[in-house]
Amino acid sequence: MKNIVVLTGSSHPKLAQRICDNLGIELSECKLGKFSNQETSVEIKKSVREKHVYIIQSGCGRVNDNVIELFILVQACLMGSAKRVTVVTPLFPYSRQSEKSQKKRLPQHQIGSEIMSSLTQQTDGPSSLPQGTFAQSFMGMSTGEGGYRQWCARAGTLVANLLQAAGADHLIAMDLHDPQYQGFFEIPVDLIYAEPCIIQWIRTEIPNWRQAVIVSPDAGGAKRATSVCNKLNLDFALIHKEDLANTKESMGLVGEVAGRPVIVLDDMIDSGSTVGLASEILKRHGATEIYAIAVHGVFSGPALQIINKSPITQVACTNTVPQEEFRKLCPKLATIDISSMLAEIIRRTFNGESVSQLFVHDEQF
Amino acid sequence: MSSNSIRILAGNSHPALAKLIAKRLGTDLANVTVSKYSNQETAVTIGESVRDEDVFIIQSGCGEINDHLMELLIMINACKTASARRITAVLPCFPYARQDKKDKSRAPISAKLVANMLSVAGADHVITMDLHASQIQGFFDCPVDNLYGEPSVLRYIRENIPDWKNAIIVSPDAGGAKRATSIADHLDLDFALIHKERKKANEVSRMVLVGDVKDKVAILVDDMADTCGTLGLAAKTLMENGASAVYAIVIHGVLSGKALKVINDSVLTRVVVTNTIPHAEKKKLCPKLDTIDVSAVLAEAIRRTHNGESVSYLFQHAAI
Repeated sequence: MKNIVVLTGSSHPKLAQRICDNLGIELSECKLGKFSNQETSVEIKKSVREKHVYIIQSGCGRVNDNVIELFILVQACLMGSAKRVTVVTPLFPYSRQSEKSQKKRLPQHQIGSEIMSSLTQQTDGPSSLPQGTFAQSFMGMSTGEGGYRQWCARAGTLVANLLQAAGADHLIAMDLHDPQYQGFFEIPVDLIYAEPCIIQWIRTEIPNWRQAVIVSPDAGGAKRATSVCNKLNLDFALIHKEDLANTKESMGLVGEVAGRPVIVLDDMIDSGSTVGLASEILKRHGATEIYAIAVHGVFSGPALQIINKSPITQVACTNTVPQEEFRKLCPKLATIDISSMLAEIIRRTFNGESVSQLFVHDEQF
Repeated sequence: MSSNSIRILAGNSHPALAKLIAKRLGTDLANVTVSKYSNQETAVTIGESVRDEDVFIIQSGCGEINDHLMELLIMINACKTASARRITAVLPCFPYARQDKKDKSRAPISAKLVANMLSVAGADHVITMDLHASQIQGFFDCPVDNLYGEPSVLRYIRENIPDWKNAIIVSPDAGGAKRATSIADHLDLDFALIHKERKKANEVSRMVLVGDVKDKVAILVDDMADTCGTLGLAAKTLMENGASAVYAIVIHGVLSGKALKVINDSVLTRVVVTNTIPHAEKKKLCPKLDTIDVSAVLAEAIRRTHNGESVSYLFQHAAI
């Protein structure tokens, strides 16, 4: 493959290396760091003139640093006369703020009581800001005290505009939280799904998958879960989270799981509260083993502790976000490698071939 | 008839300066909460209505610059979607101002990128102080007010440096000569320049003084003090050439890395910075540090912008 340059930001260099190994090319050398006053410094060592540049950056870890680094990388390529700049974001930053979706973030007090009580005895894990202020501001927002309904900033369109303003010509994103997000961009957006890799993992790693039930932990993810269970020919169940706040006794499960293994499917595990609560409900309804599969394993805050203490048998996430550190802290965690998927889409977009082949049937990679 | 009012929003970079500015204007800071979600994404919540108001967002490019830059962009965007009438970004220290040209292959022009990002986010107007290169104003399509700290610096020299009439203004590098000569002219003092001579690559560059500083108080003037390597060496050169004392006055005191150690170990009598960048903690570690308060200049600029009055008065006269 000539005239291609693949660059990586500092968010997930290992994934970028795997993608390049898959493509059979070298990752281009690029020196990333910070100046003494904390400004981001970017030096691209190889010429990008008239080349097609792919920049791989995930919106994880220190999100603001990685986002600004991405913009500066794009700008540097633009100034270096690159022919076309494609941004590849395994996890798109600020993707959950595209509409008033803050209601979906459960406040701490709604996590399953058993899990929560064991957690309150421990001190807070590494967190940059005191949790109290965030919880307070969140409570204030949801109850609307003071008469004025607080205006929560939605950074979704902003990040899309900023990326275009920096000079990106094309975006490849994996499993965006809202597929409608594509419409925020003037440039072409290719959405790629981890579903084929997840289906392959279910078939190979879950021993009695043919008896399993696919469960969606909330109403919003039902479409995603039904797509998987149709391909595997399995039964489906749903947890109706919104009902739980009102009646304590309401079980909130729609469907039958008694005596069967269940697979909880979601696009992201962030605070772990959704999947923790879902696993408790499923256990109460008689599920035998509980598997949790998510595309993006962000695991912020007490997520890993919640999972360790919950009745979940195993958790599997893709490596859109670096997973090594999380695996050390959580023995239940397994990783699904999607680098081959991303490499395939890079190869096809570079060669000008169709990518719809990737979604018609689940190919074995 | 109700006209719109000033709303001041402050990010997390320099809340103390924002409070001073609000106090000067006789208002309170608007009720805004800026924090982070648990996955490190920035969360901004505006607690009062800004519909049809004149909004000023105060955020300096210092500390965790990328976090503060994202905070600023998200606040601007939030006010735009909340139907503010006009949004002005007040950046006492402009971030990435030093990356303003392509000095080697594939170097980004980050200052242009920041200008684009501010426009895209929805800023209608930008107020900043002592841009590293005033040509950066050209990167914007919206109006930019580049305020000067010079009148405040002149007043500080007159009030706080004993024997200033016998002083000499020195620029620590060739790039700052224009700034230093302007101050020297206003005070009717002599001027000198320090010039870095590079004999060979990898050899420590020698500093050459152009001008006479014998038996005079030398005042080094620059726009930014980051690691202070240049300032320390310049002070040493001046003392070797017979200066009686060396002061340093800079507008933006970034003071990162080993800066405080360099200042403490150097022959500088005093280092004066403005409060565009917070340094209360650094003052405890370095007794030579002194502050010029520029909140009055910024507050006056905000007031005049809101009332539609001329701001050019501030270029010549220090706000009281």
